[in-house]
Amino acid sequence: MLSKKTTLIVIVLLAVLALIAAQCGSATPQTVTVVETVTVIETVEVVKEVEGKTVTVVETVEVVKEVEKEVVVTATPEPKEKVVLRYADKAADLGTMDPHFAAATNDRNLADMIFNGLLRYKPGDGSEIEPDLAEAMPEQEIVDGKQVWTFHLRRGVLCHPSDEVPAYELTSEDVVYSLQKSANPDRSAYAGEYDGMTVEAVDPYTVKITLDNPISPVLFFPKVSDYAGGFIVCKKAIEAMGDEGFKTHPVGTGPFMFESYSAQDKVMLTANENYFRGRPQLDGVEYRYMPELNSRELGLLSGELDVINGAAEGVWVERMNQKEGIRVDVYGVGEVATIHFNTSVEPLDNKLVRQAIAYALDRDEFLALFGEPVAANVYSQVPAQFLAGGLTKKEVDDLGLEYALDRDKAKALLAEAGYPDGFSLKMISSERESYLKNYQSMQAQLAEVGIDIEIEVVDHSSMHKLIRQDVNPIVIYVAWRPNADVYLTRFYHADSIVVTATKPDTNFSHYTGIDDLIEAARIELDADKQVEMWKQAQIQLLDEMISYPLQYQNQVTARNINVDFGHELKSVLALYPQITENTRITK
Amino acid sequence: MSQIQAQSPVVHPVRLRSQRQRMWHTFLSNRPAIVGLVLVIIVILAAVFADNWFIALPRGEDPTPLITTFDPLKQDARNRLAEPDAEHIMGLDSYGRDTWARILYGARVSLAVGLGSVLLGGVLGTFVGTLAGYIGGKTENIIMRAVDVLMAFPSLIMGLMVLAVLGAGLSKMILAIGIVLSPTFARVAHGATLTIKENDFVNAAIAVGANRMRILRVHILPNILGELIVLGSIWTATAIRVEANLSFIGLGVSPPTPAWGSMIRDGTQHLGYAPWVSIFPGVAILITVLGFNLLGDGLRDVLDPRLQQ
Repeated sequence: MLSKKTTLIVIVLLAVLALIAAQCGSATPQTVTVVETVTVIETVEVVKEVEGKTVTVVETVEVVKEVEKEVVVTATPEPKEKVVLRYADKAADLGTMDPHFAAATNDRNLADMIFNGLLRYKPGDGSEIEPDLAEAMPEQEIVDGKQVWTFHLRRGVLCHPSDEVPAYELTSEDVVYSLQKSANPDRSAYAGEYDGMTVEAVDPYTVKITLDNPISPVLFFPKVSDYAGGFIVCKKAIEAMGDEGFKTHPVGTGPFMFESYSAQDKVMLTANENYFRGRPQLDGVEYRYMPELNSRELGLLSGELDVINGAAEGVWVERMNQKEGIRVDVYGVGEVATIHFNTSVEPLDNKLVRQAIAYALDRDEFLALFGEPVAANVYSQVPAQFLAGGLTKKEVDDLGLEYALDRDKAKALLAEAGYPDGFSLKMISSERESYLKNYQSMQAQLAEVGIDIEIEVVDHSSMHKLIRQDVNPIVIYVAWRPNADVYLTRFYHADSIVVTATKPDTNFSHYTGIDDLIEAARIELDADKQVEMWKQAQIQLLDEMISYPLQYQNQVTARNINVDFGHELKSVLALYPQITENTRITK
Repeated sequence: MSQIQAQSPVVHPVRLRSQRQRMWHTFLSNRPAIVGLVLVIIVILAAVFADNWFIALPRGEDPTPLITTFDPLKQDARNRLAEPDAEHIMGLDSYGRDTWARILYGARVSLAVGLGSVLLGGVLGTFVGTLAGYIGGKTENIIMRAVDVLMAFPSLIMGLMVLAVLGAGLSKMILAIGIVLSPTFARVAHGATLTIKENDFVNAAIAVGANRMRILRVHILPNILGELIVLGSIWTATAIRVEANLSFIGLGVSPPTPAWGSMIRDGTQHLGYAPWVSIFPGVAILITVLGFNLLGDGLRDVLDPRLQQ
């Protein structure tokens, strides 16, 4: 047994040791006063004799002084905390990170952070295109009737390092490989966009793209911009890991590099230290998959998330904006919801029936389900609010093609068409709100004129598969396309008819009446004439009531006010607020 | 043969009368059971009198709302998610439809599925269970092991599996939940049959040459019916709950038909600012499930032979 005295000494020693350890181990910064010797310049008055007279002059002299100074010290330097932006999307899981197959919004978001294009849509403003991997906007020339675009590449752009290939400089060889991959239907979902295009490397930093049929810059630039097939992949990396491996281990040149993927959980991206526009201000991005809106909302409010994909609901936007420290951004591009009528089946093969349906529908009723500023009405198949070639409300009004709500007229047209008691139709809808709301609203509105619609709700991917098998007499489709030509070609050209066309796409109406106008506009180099042709095509679509344009639905994201995206948010093709090298979190 | 039947405890008239009186007395003195009965009756009345179909349909007219003045399918998107007020006592949903009207009409789906699936599962399970119990041997083994396999799946998972094969819809959901419930009925019927078949009146029936189906129908089934009714009333609550679960995940009836589960799901996105869209259908499910459970407990006290002893 220890004596009382010994015990006391041991306790005191332990206490002293604990205090020392606490001081040494403490990571808490402390302010202490230290004495420093500094040299300062002072002005002094000196008495001198000049030419026999005593005068006082002012001189500057260096004086050595001891000063007290407060400094902040820590016993052990704190490691710098990584600044990682935590973004939660509504998707349940990753689809693919191969940018040439990325069609789902969440996949496009990741591609946008990892890859670049020869050109890019200005961050936060999809209406402007500027150079990206290219040093400047390309010049075009016509050679032997073909259009040649020449790109000069930036020097010193590095592909991200990967397990298989260390970082290396991107050259024209990578660009040629990438655009050829985009044109290959087995290796890209956007191959159709690159028909009639030849890509060749002139030298390591010059790429020449030749088009068999000249097209206007409005149509050409999106093909080589940072969207869909325009993303540039790194040849050596994709060859080393194969196309399948590349889907989950992408290698690009963008501001963020792929770090890890956890299924149905998250993708981790890390800052590209060698990014050619400078190191990103963030150290990384945590991209989480959280399909439940309530979970995302709670995560943002509790501070566990920085940015979340919100609800396309005006009331949600209003409510979240009232929360302290939270801001909701509502921005384009607006995905356009359109009702397509299958003109190859009864009774929709009758123009009077289609027009009757149009008169029975109330755009404002559809719009109210989303609420402003999340959505707004559109009056033509190409949204005039975002793209050249669309028709405004006034234009369709002047032409008498607005089809404003008139259910008496709708009933009269139905009777004239031989359906005075209406008819029944069966169709499927996606479970997604942006689809189901429109389908259910259409169902309720058409019931007013005796048209009975039975809806079966299926999951989103099944809906996409089934409507391409032509199961729906009426298809509501919500989509963004980068220009009028893509909208009109993919939805109304004969080559895009579902099931039966040579390259089946999304022509659900089976309409072939504007093929000539689409093709003529595509090769028209005069921008005004081109726009006029697109408008004429849509006037014909509205007159025949091939499809009924409903509304565009904007993107909605909520963020902690400490998040600064680094650009003004107007419209983003990748359908998220866009996280770039300039995005930062201010504390 | 008639003498042998007279020995059966089920058909003895004097004993029946006194037994019935005792049952009523037991039931009426069980307050929770009375509460359950009242709740179930309220739900049934709401479902039946939601509109005047019983007058309109025979006349070939479209039914019009009765208890409520609102059409459960009528949308008013411009006033969507309006708060409960004197006009719309449970507010409007995300399409601007009256929540109270949809709850009333939704009761039809819940009761149709609850009662329909229990009836289907009860008939199917009872037939299989009594047959296995009475025949015995290898047939019994095969049937009951198959029942064990089916019972190993949780009811919701089993329902999902069946609906994945059949597709969504009211009749398919009744079929799916009926299949889910049938193993439970089969097991109870099997156990009860094993007990009953050893009784003298069954042996006597066999001795006078009654065939198997007659013995099952006349001598065994009436004696196990009490247990099956108790089981049915309790499992009706489960069936309603499973229907709500399946509707919640989008496998229920097609829109715009109101169903409580899908109504809750529609409201989850608006919980923060329009909780009434989800809360009221949730309360409706709570009341109905509670009612059937309390009623089932009361019936068990009355009809279960083990508790009677």
